[in-house]
Amino acid sequence: MTVEEQNGRDDDLVAAEYVLGVLPAEERAQVSRRIDDDRAFARLVEEWEARLAPMAEGFAPVPPPETVKAALDERLFETAHAARKPGLWESLAFWRGAAVAALLGLVIVGGLALNGSGWRPGEQDSRLRFVASLTHDDSDVRYLAVYDDATRDVALSHVSGERPQGRDFELWAIEGDEPPISLGVIPSGASVHISLSGALGEALRRGAVFAITAEPLGGSPSGAPTGPVVAAGDLRDI
Amino acid sequence: MTPDEITKLIFRTALKERAAFDLLYRYTSAKLFGVCLRVLQDRAEAEEALQEIYVKIWTKADRFAASDLSPISWLVAVARNHAIDRLRTRKAPAGEIDEATDIADPAPGPEASAVAAGEKRRIDMCLDELETERAKAVRGAYLDGDSYAELAERFGVPLNTMRTWLRRSLLKLRECLEQ
Repeated sequence: MTVEEQNGRDDDLVAAEYVLGVLPAEERAQVSRRIDDDRAFARLVEEWEARLAPMAEGFAPVPPPETVKAALDERLFETAHAARKPGLWESLAFWRGAAVAALLGLVIVGGLALNGSGWRPGEQDSRLRFVASLTHDDSDVRYLAVYDDATRDVALSHVSGERPQGRDFELWAIEGDEPPISLGVIPSGASVHISLSGALGEALRRGAVFAITAEPLGGSPSGAPTGPVVAAGDLRDI
Repeated sequence: MTPDEITKLIFRTALKERAAFDLLYRYTSAKLFGVCLRVLQDRAEAEEALQEIYVKIWTKADRFAASDLSPISWLVAVARNHAIDRLRTRKAPAGEIDEATDIADPAPGPEASAVAAGEKRRIDMCLDELETERAKAVRGAYLDGDSYAELAERFGVPLNTMRTWLRRSLLKLRECLEQ
């Protein structure tokens, strides 16, 4: 067995031990950091999660007490909580939250502004939206893309993978055998936002796919992709 | 709730849609609370852990997009890993966990699909091909969060022996599952 084979085997076993849960705290912490940094290793872990997952049938469901959800809401949505009090509009936290929501192309549903829990079935489900998970086997670049047909916004959430030095990521829509259409260079940041023309919106509704390529800074000089595809994915409606 | 519907709820949670998150909690919290209780064996701690788990789900839901796991498997993985991390970093480890708690596996609920039932049968069959003790160790680790140290003590073998045992068992298990 070569050193490389031995290392590969060890990685696979460490992944298995991590998933099974038998490692001591320090080793678990190390492995957990490695999952964040090393995509190939993360894949081994995920394969073991999938393999052992059927055993999870053995966990009997137990409804948690109502107090848990109330405490959770307080922990997560202090801003929503504050909505019932005066002074919200001066609250920095609220505006920060609102700015993030706006970046994601979200409509802040009635709940936040009105009473903090105002969900009504079906209320917000009529909008046509598509989601795509953009990935590629040869790279660790991952984006979650959400297209909102009503506003023709593409919200991109950066999940993992850095752009190579001196390159930009460019987003493309590809419909069938047509040449890819550039949607522009993806701004850097965790959540970014690109607006589309009406024609492109129709292409997406007809089932175009998204792809991301690495291009020279400022985007492809020719208007057609020149760099390798680092991530791609189909759109599905949600 | 079908897996597809849970997938949509996770995606919408990634977009910070609180209504979707509330529904996701409503449909999945009993399962994840079951994970916390079984691993932590302490109700107050399990409640605290469950909160932390849903905070993680709220903030990291977009990572599900990068995963090939089924939605419920992804959620259970988040919950199990968190509960086990908590268990491992407890101030006073072992000691009181002398006796193995033997909780019988519940009968699969009506929501368990035929596919899930088939997969469960398959892994049970593969576990049955291992020596009884070793299958017990694998199940104990997965469902109760037993550590190498606890397993070694329970089965009265040195830690390294336990590790070799379990590693071999995992390789055998994989071989069987991939047949």
